[in-house]
Amino acid sequence: MKKRKAPGTFTRRDFIRGAAVGTLGLALQSRVRPVPGGTREGVIPFAAENPQSIVVLIRNEKAIGAGGKVDAAVVQEMIDTAVKQFSGEADAAKAWAKYVNAGDTVGVKFTRCDWMRVHTDQAVIDAVVKRVGEAGVGKDKIFAQDGGLPVAKCTALINVPSVKVHTLTGIAVSMKNYINFAPAPSKYHAPSTNLGEIFLMPDVKGKTRLVVVDILRPYFGPGPQINPLHRWNYHGIMVSNDPVAVETVCLNICQAKRNVFKGEPWPITPPPDFIAAADKAYKLGTSDPAKIKLIKLGWDKDILV
Amino acid sequence: MPEKEKILASFLLREALPPEISGWKTGREDQVFTRNDVFDYMNGGGEIYLAYDFQFVFVREYVRDEAPSIVIEIYQMSSSEDAFGVFTHDTDGDEVELGQGGIYGAGLLRFWKDKIFVRILADRETPEAKVVIFELGGKAAEAVSSEGGKPGLVKALPAEGLRPKSLGYFHTQISLNAHYYLANVNVLNLSPETQVVMARYEKEGSQARLLLVEYPTVERAVDAHGRFVEIVLLERFEEGREARPKKLEDGKYAGVVRKGRHLIIVIEADKKAVLDWITKTISKNLEGQKP
Repeated sequence: MKKRKAPGTFTRRDFIRGAAVGTLGLALQSRVRPVPGGTREGVIPFAAENPQSIVVLIRNEKAIGAGGKVDAAVVQEMIDTAVKQFSGEADAAKAWAKYVNAGDTVGVKFTRCDWMRVHTDQAVIDAVVKRVGEAGVGKDKIFAQDGGLPVAKCTALINVPSVKVHTLTGIAVSMKNYINFAPAPSKYHAPSTNLGEIFLMPDVKGKTRLVVVDILRPYFGPGPQINPLHRWNYHGIMVSNDPVAVETVCLNICQAKRNVFKGEPWPITPPPDFIAAADKAYKLGTSDPAKIKLIKLGWDKDILV
Repeated sequence: MPEKEKILASFLLREALPPEISGWKTGREDQVFTRNDVFDYMNGGGEIYLAYDFQFVFVREYVRDEAPSIVIEIYQMSSSEDAFGVFTHDTDGDEVELGQGGIYGAGLLRFWKDKIFVRILADRETPEAKVVIFELGGKAAEAVSSEGGKPGLVKALPAEGLRPKSLGYFHTQISLNAHYYLANVNVLNLSPETQVVMARYEKEGSQARLLLVEYPTVERAVDAHGRFVEIVLLERFEEGREARPKKLEDGKYAGVVRKGRHLIIVIEADKKAVLDWITKTISKNLEGQKP
């Protein structure tokens, strides 16, 4: 009876019942070892060890102007405000100094996907690089790249992804942004359940100090190629140190936008099971909305979350 | 001559495209990507094309100062069925009369004709760019002299109640996942040899989703039938005994019927009546087709 449904098989019904998340965690748990918090003294520990993860979402109507032009000054101000809020510091320099310092070699890992065109906006990259530099990190020790970032050389990483629904992984934000740190990135496409293990690679593990998400113009369509009807101006920046919480919040925003677009439920497919795995098996953060404290700042029209 | 140069030299549609149009001129050199290197063009996106019998894509960019760049991609498939299938991957936009079916929205034009699928995309939509997009599309469509057929399986679908633009055609699990998530395993034993038509129906206020699968052999259809019954419906499968439609956790009905090499799967049916109507109608239609 039911012999064909082997352990590790999840159907749409399991997701509807909410059974997939727990089962997925159990199925993968034996494959991974617990992740110790932090890599060295002074570094913010992995959010998974916190009872609650904080995600700051800031939106500004003026971030995007006519013709879709991004206002770099507004973006800088948004990032500063969000990082200050996240760190608890009143001053941007002091806030950034909590995450990087002169002794660090910093990788600013952004998303540049030429063919799909849903990049991390240059204004976001520039704003992050500027503040990392002002925190005392020399220009020659800041690597702002997508492909080819010398991650082994870096002591700290700032994860700076864009946001897009993705045909193969379900969604692509902070978790998938590290895919090209893996020797064989395509291994994590369809299925993408084990994306979290990239964060545990020796060159990557424990180095992520901050996640700064460009959610100015996210993409909610099926992809893989862009349909401009499926991109919208959300005018947001998100800051956290928990890549799983960030992924969870962005998933909810994109799912809500899809439902609004179609006027009926339009589930993201395939379901991004790597988020649950990153939480339950790889312990990289939390995917439990009850454990995510979302701090919303600024413009709240059509915020969707 | 290397393969790509041969393709570029002999590709008739390339000749049909103007080097300059309304001030837009060809930008970087024309490019061709085949099954072997499509990931160089769209890393993480090539799988969707490779899931069909895709041969190559020709890419040309048009640029003009102070104007959005326009990229035309012409996908050469090995069959009109697969050109139609790729076209059905994303149908959001307004239908336009071009080729054998076209859709436009916000600076993106897509159409299919015979074995060709075309995408023309502007960086951003402007009135001028839109005109150029349609002119390029028209020239490409004119250059394809013949028309091709849609998949034969489509003929088995009842036209009544079919929701507009809901029709999808594909072969493999990766495409199914892009349209609709059934499971994290290949429940239906999909492969390049299988043909799948997916559609949504609305009849008398009730909705349902259809998956019609054609297998190369009866044995493979029987195996997939058993897998669906046991993995999705969670019922015991006995060959020759029909599994009854079942009400699932979402309050909707799911059921499967096998007719020879075909599986008729209806899911997310609001009422059992709509499920029964779809399976009976398609069963009857399939009987009229050759085995």
